[in-house]
Amino acid sequence: MKVRCGLMLFVVLWLLVACAAPRTITPDALPQLSGVLHQNQTISGEIVLAADLLIPEGRILTILPGTTIYVKPTLSTKIDPEWLSAETEMLVRGTLRIEGTSDKPVSFLPLEEEADQDVSWAGILFDRSVDSVVRHAQIFQAETGVLCIDSSPLIQESLIAESRYGLVMQNGSSPSISDNLIRDGEAGVFCWTNSSPELRRNQIAGNKEEGLFIDRSCNPLLDDNRILKNDIGLAAYDPELRARVGSLSGNREDFRQLREGGGK
Amino acid sequence: MRSRALMLTLLAILCTVSPVAAARTYSGEQTLWQDTVWQDDVLIDGVLTVAPGVTLEIRPGTTVRFTFRDSNRDGIGENEILSQGILKALGTIEKPILFTSSMKNPQPGAWGAVNMLMSEAENILQYTIFEYGYRGFHAHFAKATISDSIFRNNLRGLQFQESTVTVERCQVKDNLNGMQFRNSVVLLRDSVVSGSYWGIRGVYNELTLSGCRIENNRINGVNLRDSSLKASDNHIVGNRKGLYLQRSQVNLYGNSFIDNSEHGLYLEESSGTVHTNQISGNGRAGLRTLNFSGEITGNVIINNGEYALQNDGKDALSASGNWWGTTDVDQITALIRDDRDRPGLGPVDASEPLKNEPAWFRDYYP
Repeated sequence: MKVRCGLMLFVVLWLLVACAAPRTITPDALPQLSGVLHQNQTISGEIVLAADLLIPEGRILTILPGTTIYVKPTLSTKIDPEWLSAETEMLVRGTLRIEGTSDKPVSFLPLEEEADQDVSWAGILFDRSVDSVVRHAQIFQAETGVLCIDSSPLIQESLIAESRYGLVMQNGSSPSISDNLIRDGEAGVFCWTNSSPELRRNQIAGNKEEGLFIDRSCNPLLDDNRILKNDIGLAAYDPELRARVGSLSGNREDFRQLREGGGK
Repeated sequence: MRSRALMLTLLAILCTVSPVAAARTYSGEQTLWQDTVWQDDVLIDGVLTVAPGVTLEIRPGTTVRFTFRDSNRDGIGENEILSQGILKALGTIEKPILFTSSMKNPQPGAWGAVNMLMSEAENILQYTIFEYGYRGFHAHFAKATISDSIFRNNLRGLQFQESTVTVERCQVKDNLNGMQFRNSVVLLRDSVVSGSYWGIRGVYNELTLSGCRIENNRINGVNLRDSSLKASDNHIVGNRKGLYLQRSQVNLYGNSFIDNSEHGLYLEESSGTVHTNQISGNGRAGLRTLNFSGEITGNVIINNGEYALQNDGKDALSASGNWWGTTDVDQITALIRDDRDRPGLGPVDASEPLKNEPAWFRDYYP
């Protein structure tokens, strides 16, 4: 009896230790993704984003529920202008469909952090992209979690964490952004240069700088967002946005009106 | 009979010295082994090399077209000119020289580049237009002077490595990236770089920038790393960041950094002087520093969205003698973010603020 109990205890302990131990990834053994997507492609399972990936105009990349994309940081100092960042990036000029679900999200995980770098990869960069969807994605440690330049993707129920910029919209982008959590980055959401996003029911929390920044050229639709525990909750020129944004609480400064004189 | 033979001989000699070609086509891989003059229409349907020591002269009004060839399916055209000799493309204001694609509706990158490779003699381009190339003009271990020219709708307008290049009175507009260079000495003056993603981007350079307009670039107007920059009398306007320097030496005098979405200037791990500039209307901070050492004085730093000056470094920052739009000490303090806002950051010395707008600013913006 004692032996059986001891054996059971050993098995339980072994299982606990085995489950708690971090899983070792062998990136080279996984399918690799990089370069130019020459044809429409659907991916699932575990994939390595081994270097920059361009989805050109007219091409579609679909990522199925439960996919994990391990991002390999670049070691180069490239400044090739075909790419928008020196870091590893997913550059979308065609269509990207991230089709995660609540119980099977699509995750973007950096493989390792570069020494003396506070971000590990560039992020998902939409540049004149059409019909793109980011649904139930989890994006970590990016320079910009999602960048929209003249692009209007649907971004829903996703997590963007520990990134330099969570979401950036510029140059006439009008994405629909709802039910996301953007947390613990340098800054949360930026709305620049004639962009008009819909921002509904998002939580923007714990960013070291601004939670939400809206410049004077933008006309966003704001509804029921929670902006909390950032340095500046909302920074905007138009004071009426404060009442429309949702709740602002626990920020060092809930609202900063960007006005001609500047100042705190 | 004898005179006819003499005529033929003379004609042959003339052709050898300076063959004048009209509507000429170069197919596949060809090399110019002797001095050549182009005028009217030239079609490049492959890679044309200009041999070392050979001069290619292109006359006013010439159009050089490149066919599309994409052997590696990356969407970028590969047909181009590779000059190891001397290029003299001397257009005029009435008759510029055009380098373009032969396609009916080309996209940027429809052909390669006009490449200067190991071309240490003075290459001269004036009144030229480069459009729809991969790298419109590209120099590697070369020397060139480019003036009164237009670079538009290329993936890269101009690119240099290990080169010495002067660019004057040029317009670099609506390229994916305007200018990119590495390990080069570049003088850029009285030019416009606008409508790109990156306006000017480089590493390990000596750049002198004067009298230019760098505007409406979607990422940064000027972005340099491990470089030295002397910039005067430039207008850096409406970019995401106006000027972003990393690990560089800088001397900024008499420039305006206005209405950039993010920061007017971001000086990171850099040193130098920032004198007599206008820094206004930028979205986040007018001037953001991270471990900058040097002098920031005599500037007009007003009307920026969040902060006039944001010191994110641990060291003290000297910024005395600037005009902040007010002489009220408390208001000036409120315009600056430093250790008083975030313990651990370095303090900013904003003592002896200017009492009024400086005369140069009043005269310029009466």
